[in-house]
Amino acid sequence: MKKIEIEFTINGKKRRLSVKPNDLLINIIRNDLFLTGSKYGCGIGECGACTVLLNGEPVLSCLTLAATVDGKEITTIEGLAIGDELHPMQKAFLKNGAVQCGFCTPGMILTATALLKENPNSTEDEIRDYMRGNLCRCTGYIQIVKAIKSCENNLETS
Amino acid sequence: MEKQQFDFIGKSFDIKNIGKATGKEIYTCDVNIPGQLYAVVLRSPFPHAEIKKIDYSQAEKMGAICISGDDVPDILYNERIVSIPEKTYRDRTVLPKDKVRHVGEAVAACAAETEEEAFMALKKIKVEWGKKWRPLINLDKAMDPDALQIYDHVYLGEERVDINNNIACERNVDVGDIEEGFKEADEIVERTFSTQRVYHMQMETKSAVCVPEADGGITVWTTSQGIHNVRILLGNIFNIPLSKVNVKRTTLGGSFGSSIQMNSITPICVALALKAKRSVKLVTTREEDIYDHSKYPLKTILKIGAKKDGTLTAAHCRVWVEIGGHNIQAYPYLGCVAGWFASLYKWKNLKYEGTAVYTNKVPSCAMQGYGNPQINFAVESLIDILAEKLDMDPIEIRLKNYVGKGDEFWGQGPTVRSIIRSCGVEEMLIEGSKLAGWDKRTLPSKKKGDIRRGIGVARGFHTSGTGGPNPGEVIDYSGATIKINEDGSVDVLTALMDHGGGTWDAGAKVVAEVLKVPYSKVSIYSGVDTRTTVFDVNTHATRGVYCGCGAIKYVAEKVKEILLNYAATLFKDLPENLELTCNEELGQAVICPRGIPQNYMTLGEIAEHAHITSWGTIAHTATLRQKNCPPCFITHFVEVEVNTKTGEIKVPRAVIMGDSGTIINPDLWEGQIIGAFSRGLGFSLLEETKYDLNNGKLECNGMITDYKIPTTIDMPKVGSITVRSAHTYEPTGPFGAKGMGEAALSSVGSAVAIAIYNAIGIRFYELPITPEKVLKALKEKEGR
Ligand code: FES
Ligand code: FES
Repeated sequence: MKKIEIEFTINGKKRRLSVKPNDLLINIIRNDLFLTGSKYGCGIGECGACTVLLNGEPVLSCLTLAATVDGKEITTIEGLAIGDELHPMQKAFLKNGAVQCGFCTPGMILTATALLKENPNSTEDEIRDYMRGNLCRCTGYIQIVKAIKSCENNLETS
Repeated sequence: MEKQQFDFIGKSFDIKNIGKATGKEIYTCDVNIPGQLYAVVLRSPFPHAEIKKIDYSQAEKMGAICISGDDVPDILYNERIVSIPEKTYRDRTVLPKDKVRHVGEAVAACAAETEEEAFMALKKIKVEWGKKWRPLINLDKAMDPDALQIYDHVYLGEERVDINNNIACERNVDVGDIEEGFKEADEIVERTFSTQRVYHMQMETKSAVCVPEADGGITVWTTSQGIHNVRILLGNIFNIPLSKVNVKRTTLGGSFGSSIQMNSITPICVALALKAKRSVKLVTTREEDIYDHSKYPLKTILKIGAKKDGTLTAAHCRVWVEIGGHNIQAYPYLGCVAGWFASLYKWKNLKYEGTAVYTNKVPSCAMQGYGNPQINFAVESLIDILAEKLDMDPIEIRLKNYVGKGDEFWGQGPTVRSIIRSCGVEEMLIEGSKLAGWDKRTLPSKKKGDIRRGIGVARGFHTSGTGGPNPGEVIDYSGATIKINEDGSVDVLTALMDHGGGTWDAGAKVVAEVLKVPYSKVSIYSGVDTRTTVFDVNTHATRGVYCGCGAIKYVAEKVKEILLNYAATLFKDLPENLELTCNEELGQAVICPRGIPQNYMTLGEIAEHAHITSWGTIAHTATLRQKNCPPCFITHFVEVEVNTKTGEIKVPRAVIMGDSGTIINPDLWEGQIIGAFSRGLGFSLLEETKYDLNNGKLECNGMITDYKIPTTIDMPKVGSITVRSAHTYEPTGPFGAKGMGEAALSSVGSAVAIAIYNAIGIRFYELPITPEKVLKALKEKEGR
């Protein structure tokens, strides 16, 4: 298969890669860039574990073709903290006991930051509705919703 | 009750999960070895068929390394070696040699340079199938004397056991005389209950990575709840000395019991790596994972008798479980179900008969509760029915009959029992009923309108570990190495696993508490394997805190002894005259002669002294077996809202009371209870892996969205779920602690079903209670 050259920014760094037209973004991120924080939970858009931010919007990297990220900006969980300073959403998840096995956590945190950017004063119902595509089998979601609520009006624009 | 002031126990430290919040945590699927091959598995499309021949020559021509049943050792094993060998049934090999027994069973595998190449090679593997049979899906069909035999014989320990009527094993228990007991009864109730197959749906699919080492050994990373058992099994299957099998302890992306046994793909990955003489990585897809493991279903016929005043006189419990195509742990399961049943109420006379049956379905295994939520549904529902017949308050009848302090608890079937020394049942029922507004409860006949609200109460428990005064059928011990570093920080090396519930966090706090070292200076989270740790059986049976951290505390106390003895030589004093405390300002543990705080030395100074004088390392290694199995109790008050037009059920409110003795990790303790509540709602209302009766395939086709698990919107709102703890202290536990994990699920289904009855006056005897079932039942009720 013919490869395509793409260039994109990931966690603030420019990268050039040649990818096959059918390469999925999740595989490029995990296997080629070794950013294993983005998780494979289903591979077909059912669980949200592979969520990354593409130009600030949450996308499922298991359904995104790598070729389509050319010229775009990606943030994965590894790029959310600034230096040693955790992102407020990361702190809120840790503080509220919203992390158990942690496998859903990267996708949850990234989706939650996008939600509060879109709507910094989300109601609990809005949070629940926005997050419903991100599955968590461990926590029962309550502490996750609490963590997100505690971050409202508290997210510096990143 | 012993009152203690703690420096670390009972506090929450945000730092504990920092790796998980930053994407740095390494799970098995994140492990990459330079030059690794990628493996994929060929799975059976048939539920029950003969394998005549597997030809993978075409795949190998493409450069792939392949294996089938012919390539794997002839060793028959059971992937779960938690029970003693004489009580362990063996019916499988790494890959089947002659027959497949469920759709999705692995039949061959191949490894290639990339995953894509591996998939292409897999397509070239030719399986010549022989006879194909219709699947045996239902319990009754499978037990029919005319039914086809799924197995001819298996082994129990070393003994050959012939299989008849597809019965994998049976277990009966008698206490007292039920005939006499029922004679004494004024009221007798009997019903049949059934609970379904549920998929664990842990977020991380089963994975393994294997590196074949130059000396003939192997290094393995795999999704496991107990790395030492994986080491022993792999060594035995592949005939490698156990010193050369090294299994790495890796963070688990959830498990819920599905990795108590060695995962089916682990030895497949090893077999490929040994054949290829290259490192191999195998990550299963979600679809493969759904076809790999399931919760045990249970059918129960329960009969109980009581006197007019509510005193129970007898119970007869008959259960059947269909276990799928392999017997992973049905015998201990039947024992445990007997134990949960026997330990809920003082039946006085009881009879239990349990039967496990092979079917052509995914092998079932433990899933949070190991039969406890299943049998609890039957017992608590029937107690509710009995209370109604006797015109007693459901709380009163429970208070009258529960098994509590001073009584015997069967922590792991009939052979593992110990006396209950801490019990919050009464407090939880009474305080919980106040919080839940129990006195405002109205009868079903008083409800009106399309949306009807009801409230239900149910109580449950689980064991904390599988220890008893005498070792029973279950192996149970844990251990650790603890060493004080040259700067006074502490390393804890333990094989104890953490599923995400906070077992490692608890271990670190226990060590911090004993040695008075700041939590942030205790390292427990990473960097160990079977070679650097002593044995730990498994994080199952809610034993992590009670048994695992119990052993860690024991070792930490030994280290403290060594430390004080050494410090005594520096202070020219006796160890018993010294005091060890945590100095927060210094961020260090300090030792001083009792009452003379200004003459302190920091732990760092002492350890440094031991180092530069070549005295040695202040360290200790040991294992410990807990000799009790204290129950951790739970009580659920659940409110439901039933829409009589659509059959939909919502859960707007819940009050959950838990008894874990001392709570070591408060935020995760609450999280465990709420998480279990969500899985319990899935179990009660949504989830079931249904099978096509003709082709033996799953109706959900391996999709999560068609299977359905609870999402954010299925839970009560943040302020509507109240979690409280009983005030208890477990004298045999580390700092008074017992477990929680599995207890938290045990009575959710029962409370939901009872609440539904309170809302619409209809009893459900079968889970899950779906809108279709509700509508059907409402229609039948109106029709009458
Ligand atoms: S892995 Fe992408 S949605 Fe599940
Ligand atoms: S924390 Fe385990 S899946 Fe969410």
